[in-house]
Amino acid sequence: MSSLDTFAATLDDAALTASATPQITATYPDLSVDEAYEVQLKLLQLRWARGECRVGYKMGLTSRAKMIQVGVSEIIWGRLTDAMRQEEGGVLKRSRFVHPRVEPEIAYIIGKPLAGNVSAAEALAAIEAIAPAMEIIDSRYQNFKFALPDVIADNSSSSGFYVGSWAPKSTDVTNLGIIMEVNGRPVQIGSSAAILGNPIRSLVSAARLVAGVGESLQPGDIVLAGAATAAHALTPGEYIRTSFQRLGHVAFSVGA
Amino acid sequence: MTISPDKDAIGAAAALLYEAAATGKPTAPIRTLLPESDIDAAYRVQALNTENALAAGRRLAGRKIGLTSLAVQKQLGVNQPDYGMLFADMARGDAEEIALADVLQPKVEAEVAFVLGCDLTDERLTVADLFRAIAFAVPAIEIVGSRVANWDIRITDTIADNASSGLYVLGSRPVKLADFDPRMCGMVMEKSGEPVSVGAGAACLGSPLNAALWLAKVMAKLGRPLLAGDTILSGALGPMVGVAPGDVFDVRIEGLGAVRASFSKE
Repeated sequence: MSSLDTFAATLDDAALTASATPQITATYPDLSVDEAYEVQLKLLQLRWARGECRVGYKMGLTSRAKMIQVGVSEIIWGRLTDAMRQEEGGVLKRSRFVHPRVEPEIAYIIGKPLAGNVSAAEALAAIEAIAPAMEIIDSRYQNFKFALPDVIADNSSSSGFYVGSWAPKSTDVTNLGIIMEVNGRPVQIGSSAAILGNPIRSLVSAARLVAGVGESLQPGDIVLAGAATAAHALTPGEYIRTSFQRLGHVAFSVGA
Repeated sequence: MTISPDKDAIGAAAALLYEAAATGKPTAPIRTLLPESDIDAAYRVQALNTENALAAGRRLAGRKIGLTSLAVQKQLGVNQPDYGMLFADMARGDAEEIALADVLQPKVEAEVAFVLGCDLTDERLTVADLFRAIAFAVPAIEIVGSRVANWDIRITDTIADNASSGLYVLGSRPVKLADFDPRMCGMVMEKSGEPVSVGAGAACLGSPLNAALWLAKVMAKLGRPLLAGDTILSGALGPMVGVAPGDVFDVRIEGLGAVRASFSKE
């Protein structure tokens, strides 16, 4: 086994046992971004071998503030599987995760194949629908601390997602108000404009980035465009509900 | 009524702030002149300078509401918003160049502005009265400023200093209250295409209407009621942003429209 296989196996085990693991870069500081994406693919291959299916992608570091915070100028991405899909309105088991957090997202549902250097108009033409969404992020690293290659290898912290009711693809989602509430009290207030100034830019990037490793956005795929606000750390007993201007809301409860 | 600035602490504080505004040279914090956290005393300082402004011929054009974010209230150790006076000479046009010299230590905030179609003289108001009274809403950029050096303010400093009011810009297209969602509307402020502040209506006391109702009640109670034609700047929808010479800020509030504040290069 190569060291990249070992890293993937370690991360897979950390996710399966909901236990934190040390950063890869702590012992292997030279891990490159390209190698990190190789680790991510190997990690996903382990899960696909267990029967999980690919269902789409997530984009990360999509706000300038976060890019500056992490010291990068490119957004990152991860892969979604059917096992990560959570039932809207259901109960999320806190114990299945290391230290889960939730973020409000805009989801694109793809209608036509899309890959490579595409324009915003081409990206819009490939959309089947738009939906309000939330993503569960759960870094497998201790204290949610990581360098850029670490988080990429760890499937960009993605652990689960919720998608609400579909809205027509013509819905303008450039600047929609978003309120994330815990037990009826707002904890994050923002706008979809926080996602690269316009979430469609994230979809354009997604088409380019996945094409870079020979993949493409396929009909039925879900693309989570990026977080619209800072994340909220989850505690059992919380009822999380995020309202989106014009799109409705998405909700779930946190169980033990 | 003319009060000699040197006669008491209120007058002394008001004089320092008045002087700072007149000369363009910020003063040291005035909080040391007042009892600690004495909000009433701070409003007396503000009221004294309001009288001075009116005596000098300035026209009262509305009010601004500040401290409408729970996070900012916590920072300043209070559990209510504050208010300041808007004078007609503080208004600037949409996308019109704003002379940096016209405001001390400027920062910008994106807000919903309401303009009243009738007087609100009764302090026993409900939001239904507000629905009837608001003629239209318009997106706004408030350019806050501080006459206190380096924005070294605590609660009494900012209230005494007219709630750190500076200038304001209203958008070009009035919108009926029924035609946008004051609570859920998304807000983005961009500088050269970069989002520098994002938020939503709910960031302002749950809804800008809650802030406006609070203000209308307080003003009626104090005997300086909001009147037809008054502009209400209801409070920030996202974080405040510093201003550098030559900056141009574009604010879009979903459903309400857009407004631009463009600052001179020197």
